[in-house]
Amino acid sequence: MGADLISIASSGARAAKAALNITANNISNASSEGYVRRSVHLSELAANSSAGSPAAINLAGVRISGIVRNADAFRQSEVRRTGADAARANAEVKGLENIESAIEATGVYDSIVGFETGLQQLLSDPVDGSLRASVLERGRSLAQTFNVASNSLDAVANGLNFEATDGVSTVNRISGELARVNLRLARASDASSDQTTLLDQRDLLLQELSQHIDISTSIGTGGVVSVTIGGPSGPALVNGGNSGTLEMATAADGTISFTMDGNPATISSGSLAGQSQALTEVASSRIKLDAIAKSIVDTVNAAQANGVDLTGATGSPIFSGTGAADMAMIATSGEQIATAPAGSPAGSRDPGNLTAIKSALAAANPAGAMDTLLFGVSSAVAGRAVTRDALESIASNAKVALQAQSGVDLDQEAVNLVRFQQAFQASGRVMQIASDIFDSILSIR
Amino acid sequence: MPIISSSTSAFYERSRTNMKDLRKEAEKLQAQLGSGQKLSRSSDNPVAASRLRTLSRQESISSIDTTNANRANADLSLADSAMSSMGSAIIRAQELAGQASNSTLTDEQRGAIAVEMDQIFQDLVALANSRASNGQALFGGEAAGDAYSIDASGNAVYIGTASSGDLPIGDGQTVGRSMTGPQILNFTDANGNATDILSTIKALSNALKGGVANPAGAASDSLDVLRVGLDNLTTSQTVVGTRLAWLDVVADRRVEISELRDTEQADLGSTDIPSTVAQLQETMTVLEASQASFTRLANLSLFDNLR
Repeated sequence: MGADLISIASSGARAAKAALNITANNISNASSEGYVRRSVHLSELAANSSAGSPAAINLAGVRISGIVRNADAFRQSEVRRTGADAARANAEVKGLENIESAIEATGVYDSIVGFETGLQQLLSDPVDGSLRASVLERGRSLAQTFNVASNSLDAVANGLNFEATDGVSTVNRISGELARVNLRLARASDASSDQTTLLDQRDLLLQELSQHIDISTSIGTGGVVSVTIGGPSGPALVNGGNSGTLEMATAADGTISFTMDGNPATISSGSLAGQSQALTEVASSRIKLDAIAKSIVDTVNAAQANGVDLTGATGSPIFSGTGAADMAMIATSGEQIATAPAGSPAGSRDPGNLTAIKSALAAANPAGAMDTLLFGVSSAVAGRAVTRDALESIASNAKVALQAQSGVDLDQEAVNLVRFQQAFQASGRVMQIASDIFDSILSIR
Repeated sequence: MPIISSSTSAFYERSRTNMKDLRKEAEKLQAQLGSGQKLSRSSDNPVAASRLRTLSRQESISSIDTTNANRANADLSLADSAMSSMGSAIIRAQELAGQASNSTLTDEQRGAIAVEMDQIFQDLVALANSRASNGQALFGGEAAGDAYSIDASGNAVYIGTASSGDLPIGDGQTVGRSMTGPQILNFTDANGNATDILSTIKALSNALKGGVANPAGAASDSLDVLRVGLDNLTTSQTVVGTRLAWLDVVADRRVEISELRDTEQADLGSTDIPSTVAQLQETMTVLEASQASFTRLANLSLFDNLR
């Protein structure tokens, strides 16, 4: 029994030391991303009782039965789900804000008003060369502003497309890594330190993946995870040691679509979904902007043809182009503005056709259409920003809830440190007592 | 069993989020104070931004209306003074016709009156050809150059267009920028014949030079005609004066509307400084308090007390 006392004490000291190691590991990983607090699971080491005396008391000490990872699967999946929603809303709002800047900050509205007021001012003296030149230059800056707005929209679309391409390659990289983690998990022994690290890695990768697309996960034996896009019945992204390939296609109008191993895949959440939605918004804004530019070009040119210019010739078109990108001023001199009605002599001060141009422009109402476009985009931004804020606060709450449950609490670790130190010291004391007992037996004379 | 129901990282995450939100709020208020504008982009308040766009459009159009109205005012004032001068010339012609109607005058004396009458005719043609502020004929309608030309036989012929242009002066209102020559100089005499001042004076001058058998009688007849012509001119001058008064009315109205617009713009888009400063102060107080409590809580570690 005396020798047993030493081995019991040494098992206790070993267990306390392992627990101290775990505590130290927890403390040093207190701020590691994705680290889940570990704790040691101890159980009594039961020695087999001998066949001769089954009722004999056998004490053999303690053993470490496993390292427990305090992860809550539900909270983790909530973090992934809400995080994907927040990432989608964020990407969409960011894209919409860029669209808003592209067509608002370029001042298209102001330049339309500038052109209108230039025509209005020309009414006061239709033959005044400086007023004619002013209308021409305002028209030129109107066309150039449309060009700039169109280029800005292109830049927004390119930026979103670049981000989406990067997102797709990140998804493919993560799914490849997940497949490798799955393979290693299948080989790792249960409840070992190796397995817990792999599980941490797995959960971190899943969380990272959920920022880009919406995923459903199911955990198999040994912690091996299979991932599908969208719902549980969606196309498989990771299955055991195999990972699929996500691909992205860009349509002519700049909108994007996704395929999973060649089959169409619908992504409804995550930053890729947000970027796809924003690109759709870019395409529709561009159609509207092009329509406004075309209506100005067509209206002004048609009205020009009904009048005569300062030299008495029939009015020629002053704008060219069919959309915002290629709109241009082609008149070279202010004389080409056809202010007088058809049949008037050269140098006529009759503003008949100028009035017609003005009222045709007022009927086409490009300023009103531009205002509607700006209002549509800005109210979309305002509305989606509210949704985004709500989703972000939900996601942040879910993250805090997960951290509160699975993260490291330094105060608790401090307590554990003291507790296991005492346990270690107590085991040492037991060893000393065993030695004392042995000595007292030896000292019998 | 955790000691407090939270992990260390959750505590830091929560504190960070709260302080970040407060700081963002404070910076937004600061930006509003700095720029004087409540909206930094349309999406801050889409409805107000759309209204502000419409208001600024009306503002630019209104400023063009003001220049147009000023131009109309200048042209009408020029027309007014030219018509006053015409009136004086016609009155002088009446005096001369009165003298010439005296049958005791000799042909030489009538000839001298005819010379002055010719001068009055030329003055009137020059006045009718006077220029507006844009350098074109004031009474020539929309034609370029002169309103009247002198034909081979020395008569004045109107070569302008039938109407003078209208100028928009805002609010859908327009005003005629001037009158045409026929509008102020042509009239119907007491006998129902269509005539005009210029040809009347020209005919009188010819008569006084001996063009008719009874110059004194012709001069006496022309007195009536000249009176009707002067009446017609004065009526036209009244029209011009009314238009000038109308311009003043519209200008007053434009100023009032512009003030309303400014008020609405200020209500919609400008920062309400007292309430924004108060809000900023409140946010700063909360931020300072949460920073202080964060520092104290973060310093609270069990490790410090383990010896």
